[in-house]
Amino acid sequence: MTKQDQLQQILRELKQALPELRSVVVASTDGLPIVHDSADAPRVAAMAATALGLGKRISQTTELGALEETIVRGNQGYFVVYAAGEKGVLALAAPSGANLGLIHLEAREFATRLAQVL
Amino acid sequence: MEPIKIVVSGPVGAGKSTFIRTLSETEIVDTDARSSEAIGKALTTVAMDYGTLRLDGQLLYLFGTPGQERFDFMWDVLTQGALGMVLLVRGDKPEGFPQARRQLDYLLSQQPVPYVVGVTRQDRPPVWGPEEVALYMGQPPERVVGLNATDPGSAVTPLLRLLELMLGADAPS
Ligand SMILES: Nc1nc2c(ncn2[C@@H]2O[C@H](COP(=O)(O)OP(=O)(O)O)[C@@H](O)[C@H]2O)c(=O)[nH]1
Ligand SMILES: [Mg+2]
Repeated sequence: MTKQDQLQQILRELKQALPELRSVVVASTDGLPIVHDSADAPRVAAMAATALGLGKRISQTTELGALEETIVRGNQGYFVVYAAGEKGVLALAAPSGANLGLIHLEAREFATRLAQVL
Repeated sequence: MEPIKIVVSGPVGAGKSTFIRTLSETEIVDTDARSSEAIGKALTTVAMDYGTLRLDGQLLYLFGTPGQERFDFMWDVLTQGALGMVLLVRGDKPEGFPQARRQLDYLLSQQPVPYVVGVTRQDRPPVWGPEEVALYMGQPPERVVGLNATDPGSAVTPLLRLLELMLGADAPS
């Protein structure tokens, strides 16, 4: 399996584990889409990299320790960004009723798997 | 005197992060991430750079943007409330001038403020001088200055020129 195939496979499994997700984008830390299921992937990838980069810096400056995730919460849902190792970013969009605890649990595990492939 | 917010923009590799790191008198905020593209360097700014300095008693806040057009949403965020702009271009890379020109036009259309174009790498000849870049980019000569972004004495020149332009005339740009 090529790297791209492996990443696609992880993306599919993530969506099976969390069917309520509206979209998933895996990007490089400098904001280019790698695998995704979003029509708006280029912009989402760039924004996810910005959110992660800024989140890390805020976490460091305000002495919060290592960043776990950056969350944007609107009145209709969440956009959550996780680091996938040193090179990758995992961004998820979920509706407002979503179980954020479960999302974190699954997403962190999938982020680790993505990091191994990236 | 109120602090003045200045945006520092320009294409990738122009020297924006270096400029702010060289000039800031307070601890900087940077957001460089590993680059996955061949851009001639290992790291690239994904959100912002930030630094502050005092110039002739005037407190300046410097906000640096990412260079790539895919981060143009950050240009919009960071230019809000800016009173001046420094657009940096790499003097030894004329291929980058058209993008710099587009970026300048875009930023000024969003935020019509006084600006200066800074031509970096003047310490690394062969390099385009400010007069040549002014001609190429269709800018008045007084708006284009050369600098070495790694040297504090030289990096400060675009800011001095910008303050002159800002205080000299009330009319923006
Ligand atoms: N010698 C020299 N090097 C420079 C100058 N400006 C930037 N650099 C170098 O160019 C590289 C890219 O600069 P950087 O600040 O990351 O560019 P940015 O993408 O605009 O933020 C760094 O290695 C800097 O040290 C300059 O005026 N003179
Ligand atoms: Mg930079």
